[in-house]
Amino acid sequence: MTGWRLALRGLRRRPLRSALSLAGIAVASAMLLDMVMLSGGLDRSFEQLLLVRGYQVRITPKGTLPFDAEATIGRGSALMAALRAEPMVASAAPVLGAALHARAGVPRGGGDPLVTVVGYGVEPAAQAIYEVERGTDLAPGDSLGLLVSAPAAGRLGLAVGDTVAVAGRLDAQLAAAAAERRFVVRGLARFLYDSRGQPSVATLLPVMQSLAGPAYADRLSLVLVRAAPGADPERLTGRLRALVPSVETNSVADLVVQFRQRMLYFRQLSYILGTVSLVVTVLLIATLLTITVSERLGEIATLRAIGVGRRTVVLQVLAEGAVLTVLGGALGVALGLATARYLDAILTGFPGLPAAFSFFVPRAGALLQAGAVLLVTGMLAGLYPAWLAARAPIAATLRAEAT
Amino acid sequence: MSPSTGVVLRGTALRKSYRLEELTVEALRGVSLDVSAGEYVAIVGPSGCGKSTLLQLIGGIDTPTAGSVELLGTRLESLSDRDLTRLRLTRLGFVFQRFHLLPVLTARENVELPMAEAGMPAAERRARARELLAYVGLAAREGHRATQLSGGEMQRVAIARALANRPVLLLADEPTGELDAATGREVMALFRRLNAEGTTLVVVTHDEHLAAEAGRVVHMLDGRITDDVRSVGAA
Repeated sequence: MTGWRLALRGLRRRPLRSALSLAGIAVASAMLLDMVMLSGGLDRSFEQLLLVRGYQVRITPKGTLPFDAEATIGRGSALMAALRAEPMVASAAPVLGAALHARAGVPRGGGDPLVTVVGYGVEPAAQAIYEVERGTDLAPGDSLGLLVSAPAAGRLGLAVGDTVAVAGRLDAQLAAAAAERRFVVRGLARFLYDSRGQPSVATLLPVMQSLAGPAYADRLSLVLVRAAPGADPERLTGRLRALVPSVETNSVADLVVQFRQRMLYFRQLSYILGTVSLVVTVLLIATLLTITVSERLGEIATLRAIGVGRRTVVLQVLAEGAVLTVLGGALGVALGLATARYLDAILTGFPGLPAAFSFFVPRAGALLQAGAVLLVTGMLAGLYPAWLAARAPIAATLRAEAT
Repeated sequence: MSPSTGVVLRGTALRKSYRLEELTVEALRGVSLDVSAGEYVAIVGPSGCGKSTLLQLIGGIDTPTAGSVELLGTRLESLSDRDLTRLRLTRLGFVFQRFHLLPVLTARENVELPMAEAGMPAAERRARARELLAYVGLAAREGHRATQLSGGEMQRVAIARALANRPVLLLADEPTGELDAATGREVMALFRRLNAEGTTLVVVTHDEHLAAEAGRVVHMLDGRITDDVRSVGAA
């Protein structure tokens, strides 16, 4: 009979109490796991999202982050020429983003007649903001082609091959589009940085500049840059800062640092809630074991009387704490992963947040870290009751038991 | 065992006092008692006379306020808690009024417990536990949890547990106190058999029938031994 088996059987003495305690530990463990996933998940998810297409550097208007403002970069073609002439640059992907208004010829499936969408102007040969899921990508020179996101297609009732009218600006007095062009939907695309439900379209960069109006001529919102093989992205970032000082140049690592600073409150919150959950776990286990030891003092005194050592008694109580922690923690992992998914769905639904972003990233390291912390905590929680058990006065306890 | 005298246990001038709120209770007032190998000693007396306290002192589970206890020539007061625990494990056997078996363990596992603590290999202790359960007439109940046993069966398992590490002295505190007359008689018969086979026994009891089984009856009153009667032919 090992101490672990004895501890496991000990939980069966009071099955309801053990079940309630395990439920409490599971909830606290789930919270701890979620907080561990949250504290590291934000950065990791953000970094993964930025690197999804392998572009390590972002160039934006001075003083802004990507799509942080409506500001744009002037003399876009000169900037692109300079970037493409740089030996450390493997690829540069320009993007212009602006609000557009789309109207399907004959809305199908109850689509809206006029829908405001986010329009992206891109160069299909070097783009890093979408993935085509159905139909075909835009071809170079295809000034009639348009890619639409699933939310845009849904709201406009569009399918591949359909025609759609898109206007850059609305004339407020005439309530009509000042400049409208007709496009053919070439494909449905998933826009990597869109928020959930965001209707978006993409067309060629010159077409988009034209649609958006004279103020957008030769302007860009963002350029994504991929380093040449063997080139260090950080060195490239420094090089581009020197080359084009009029714009903001950040590596993904820089952006992660800035993001981390912006999200500091999330991390602090996760640390606080994680600590609270640990404290709750300690209190739960310590309370349960203290009650258990108090109830079993007579039994413990008898064991000590027949020659069972203090060490065995202490290890027994600690083993019970560890068994509770392991079982409760295992339940907590399942519960934590389920609640993380639920919470993630809520949080990533906030306006402006990329739908592909994740607040809770399950990682083996995080699971192991939470598990180790929990196990140590469970055993520490058993220290006081174990001390009580080991110090129980044998003779006095047996006398009290006999009366 | 002390080879010259055959004395297993020697308690000398034992005193024990407790603080009970503002009062000091003198549980033992200078008790001396020798127990020789093979003796069957019953300690009797009214409640509160100090007989259980005396048993706890000679069993090394409590310390005297004054006086000394020697077991096989070793003074218990000179031992560390660890050594004293080891001595109780390997040299003494205890049987209590309320059995105190671990309810989550089977009868066999309860008997194995002291042997496991003593470091006996699993196969060996399993065989010995079975042998002991057969000895106390519970071979068929070895797989039953303690909670599935009757009071008499539990006490017999407790006796088997007490015998696990082959003690030189078996101490029992009111072993029939929780049992009805019939099951009490079974336990008495078991003690008689154990003594007949050479086990040294010291039993604290209120039970006149049980005391009558003993070869020597020590009477106590107010923390003192008032009479010490050996039957004719007793060791």
